[in-house]
Amino acid sequence: MTISPDKDAIGAAAALLYEAAATGKPTAPIRTLLPESDIDAAYRVQALNTENALAAGRRLAGRKIGLTSLAVQKQLGVNQPDYGMLFADMARGDAEEIALADVLQPKVEAEVAFVLGCDLTDERLTVADLFRAIAFAVPAIEIVGSRVANWDIRITDTIADNASSGLYVLGSRPVKLADFDPRMCGMVMEKSGEPVSVGAGAACLGSPLNAALWLAKVMAKLGRPLLAGDTILSGALGPMVGVAPGDVFDVRIEGLGAVRASFSKE
Amino acid sequence: MSSLDTFAATLDDAALTASATPQITATYPDLSVDEAYEVQLKLLQLRWARGECRVGYKMGLTSRAKMIQVGVSEIIWGRLTDAMRQEEGGVLKRSRFVHPRVEPEIAYIIGKPLAGNVSAAEALAAIEAIAPAMEIIDSRYQNFKFALPDVIADNSSSSGFYVGSWAPKSTDVTNLGIIMEVNGRPVQIGSSAAILGNPIRSLVSAARLVAGVGESLQPGDIVLAGAATAAHALTPGEYIRTSFQRLGHVAFSVGA
Repeated sequence: MTISPDKDAIGAAAALLYEAAATGKPTAPIRTLLPESDIDAAYRVQALNTENALAAGRRLAGRKIGLTSLAVQKQLGVNQPDYGMLFADMARGDAEEIALADVLQPKVEAEVAFVLGCDLTDERLTVADLFRAIAFAVPAIEIVGSRVANWDIRITDTIADNASSGLYVLGSRPVKLADFDPRMCGMVMEKSGEPVSVGAGAACLGSPLNAALWLAKVMAKLGRPLLAGDTILSGALGPMVGVAPGDVFDVRIEGLGAVRASFSKE
Repeated sequence: MSSLDTFAATLDDAALTASATPQITATYPDLSVDEAYEVQLKLLQLRWARGECRVGYKMGLTSRAKMIQVGVSEIIWGRLTDAMRQEEGGVLKRSRFVHPRVEPEIAYIIGKPLAGNVSAAEALAAIEAIAPAMEIIDSRYQNFKFALPDVIADNSSSSGFYVGSWAPKSTDVTNLGIIMEVNGRPVQIGSSAAILGNPIRSLVSAARLVAGVGESLQPGDIVLAGAATAAHALTPGEYIRTSFQRLGHVAFSVGA
């Protein structure tokens, strides 16, 4: 279905964000086009651009979960996480150079990524179903970005903007769920040897598994269920960190392994 | 009595009566770091004279964030006595303190003497065991406000500590998840990596710093490596429990 961007507010907001991504020029906040704090309207904007992306041939490779820290939820005035789409062209290799031009206003977060071995189509899920479905976990760095100028976002801006997704890097060594502790695992992100963000698994909704379960239920309910092979970026384990040209970030998650995001100098 | 003796006596009295005292630097702005450590020693000498025994050291300002916040580039240290040791699982009397806070820590238990410029390998070889720990910090200054020499003179705010079950010295404590809970709800979440990127660096610094004043780490000594997260201010009725990845947990209750 093609919706003319000018026909309504949803379309207008989606068009602004699409244009910002395409041209690399951030837009003014789009929240003024939508009813205040209307989360459903914001997800309709996101869904419209998901359809645009799929129509353009991009492959859906997974989802990201955002707002998984209670402190960040409070900041944005919500009491639930949010989600965005991960497309295959957003994935970058461990320690591979990342072109700064590929993401707008980048910041990095350390996360646990889960990769599914089977579909999760039933919305009546428990964590036991998740144990059976997760093929492996891997440490990840999410490079969030914002198509909204100066990160001047409120809740509807970020949700409409694909939950501020940018790029992501997965570590090189898959680990079985039983072989690490998703809740207690320590996390440190270092830049040139300095710890710039520290945390633990519990910072993500008590456990990254809680976030993944929330997402799987929501996706099944919305009719876009998580499928075998999908990557889930489950949410930040510590504070987000800004990126400057040439920065190299090393993340270690105890028991899970390491991953590096290396940015180009210009 | 010299003015340094007077400062020590004032701080000792503030701790004994659980009442805050003005910053030394408010009336004596030129107090140097070296003089501040002299005040700290005099303060401890008053306590040793009352029968307290030395049992180890605490390291402070061990995160880069805190160093930048205070505007220094060196970690600070204080001395632990047996009277500061609290019973794990017991009740801490809030009224004994001015405005106590708690921080999660990694504790090293020393097995062999260690002092001076040592390598990380030598520091590791001197360890008998590693344990999860918590430190009670309680600045004797009004509103927990101080300049660097003030806090050093005040035994680096140290007031008490809890040590949990010992773990083998081979345990890798570089990046352990730490969750501090109040009545079952997380208030601080972090990792031992917040301590200088690796807590062993704190022990290396401890050996060097105490040697600078002619002391050494002795078998049986406890070294608190530094806070792994921000501190939590204590209120009666709270049950504080900190869980450490692989090391277990340490807990106490706060009484009136």
